[in-house]
Amino acid sequence: MNQKLVNILLVEDDEVDVMNVKRAFSKNNIMNPLFVAGNGVEALEMLENHIIPLPKIIILDINMPKMNGIEFLKIMRENEKLKNISVFVMTTSNEDSDKINAYNLNVAGYILKPLSFEKFLTSVATLKNFWQLCEL
Amino acid sequence: MGNASILLVDNRKAIIESFRKSFSEIEVKHTLFSAANENEAWSMLDGSQKLSPIPKIILIDVNRTKNEGIQFLNSIRNHTDLKSILVFVITDSENEINKAAALNLNIAGYIPMSFESQTLNSFVSVLNEYWNIIEFSSQK
Repeated sequence: MNQKLVNILLVEDDEVDVMNVKRAFSKNNIMNPLFVAGNGVEALEMLENHIIPLPKIIILDINMPKMNGIEFLKIMRENEKLKNISVFVMTTSNEDSDKINAYNLNVAGYILKPLSFEKFLTSVATLKNFWQLCEL
Repeated sequence: MGNASILLVDNRKAIIESFRKSFSEIEVKHTLFSAANENEAWSMLDGSQKLSPIPKIILIDVNRTKNEGIQFLNSIRNHTDLKSILVFVITDSENEINKAAALNLNIAGYIPMSFESQTLNSFVSVLNEYWNIIEFSSQK
């Protein structure tokens, strides 16, 4: 995957978390173009109106204002042009119902945001290694 | 995630043995089950040989058959109790049609792989690290 540098969309309302993802990408030498949407509504607008190039990977938070991650996923999976995008949930929600809903909508993984930045770095490094195995 | 079961579908005994060896060498904590074909796999998911709990993960080379592999994934996605299973396509051959079909069925990853033991270990160890950072529901 690395040689093509696919686009990645981060859907996240918390600015600190956005910063952390950017820092973790940079520390792990993840050079893929990263776009950010503040919630599900904004993400759908960006995708449906081609405001950003179509991403192959979406990193999705669950608890967000306007439209949460699960609602966004439902709409995305019903859209022919968006349905096959790989989605990785990254959230602080440890609710079983969120995990069940996310996997029923076929996310590639449900990752709990670790509390420390060091652990978060390790999780992102693991994701990077996994992405490098995959053809998207 | 905690200890889960993983179902490997492949009609080559040697490949299944390589995976078993690799799982044991890397000390993967998840239990590996295997099926020689899609029919056998289906009976382990929703038939006479049904596994309990249902495997959380399936590893399958969809390019071993013309389209039985893709049909199998399609049946999983249309089954209420099975549709949430994480599917990793692992393959040592190329087939762009199957790849596109599998990605449309929202597999978790399409992974071109070499099944030689040394390289297999490095693939399985990346996969295992990934499995260890993801959460599953506690529901059986």
